Amino acid sequence: MEFITFAESALNLLGFVVGLILGIFAYIGFRNTGSPTLFRLNISFFSISIGFGVVGFGYMLESFVLGYVKIDTWIQTLGIGIQTVGYFFIAFSHGIKSFFPKSRYFKSIVAPLFIIPANSIEHIIRSISFILLVYGTIETIMSYMENRNRNTIFVAAGLGLLALGEFLGWYSIVFPKSVLYFVSVSTKIVGLGALFVPISQVPLRGGPRFGNNI
Amino acid sequence: MAITYRTHMSIIGDILSTTRDEIPDESGASVTYLIRKANVSYARLSKILETLVSQGLLEQTSSERACKYRISERGREFLQAYRGFREFADSFGLRI
Repeated sequence: MEFITFAESALNLLGFVVGLILGIFAYIGFRNTGSPTLFRLNISFFSISIGFGVVGFGYMLESFVLGYVKIDTWIQTLGIGIQTVGYFFIAFSHGIKSFFPKSRYFKSIVAPLFIIPANSIEHIIRSISFILLVYGTIETIMSYMENRNRNTIFVAAGLGLLALGEFLGWYSIVFPKSVLYFVSVSTKIVGLGALFVPISQVPLRGGPRFGNNI
Repeated sequence: MAITYRTHMSIIGDILSTTRDEIPDESGASVTYLIRKANVSYARLSKILETLVSQGLLEQTSSERACKYRISERGREFLQAYRGFREFADSFGLRI
């Protein structure tokens, strides 16, 4: 197993753990308050976690157990697809009101993301993830403008880094054998780490359960 | 400036906060007092109060004139959890 493949697997597994912890936290919040927003965040982080897990465990399985030299691309596509579901729920929570502004300049940036990688499902999914994450980042920055909550900046930075990571992953189509994918996964892990900051502010206690009865 | 609507959960949070921090006397807060402080209609408040009492988050006390409401220990725990997770959702620019 090449070092770079091993490192990519390890980073994906780290993403799996980070996403899982965030998902569990959101689930505890949903269980305690019955809030639909926390339910959506719960689905979102579990999807992101499973997406990372599929890639990480898939790479490990194919390399160690099956002994493949070349890793199947469908594993990567499946994992990225599941992660995209998670990014969609973050964006959905913000309410997708005006997804495509009328600005021609904006369209000129967004359109190539759909047109250029038309021959690859993985890259189409990545471009969708990128758009969803950029949308989430912008909405979070706008929320910071309103509430001036310091944690919001960390979340905006986290979503921004996830978007950058997706963009670098998508851009690796240009340099397929380079370390670009490794850098992409590392950036996404740092982004997920930044989403951890708000959790440190919340005391994790058992508390009463109310579910959807409230 | 855009109008911001409160979610069902935040109205519950406001009612519980009022019954915890702003009750006029030991016997609790009256419906009229809660309508004014939590800024909700009588019809909506009645339904919410009924739910909160049935879930054990509020205690209903009877005085000479009308029913009054006081936060229970369970309600205090809920309010603490709600505030913590509201902070978490706020960080994402979302409301619970």
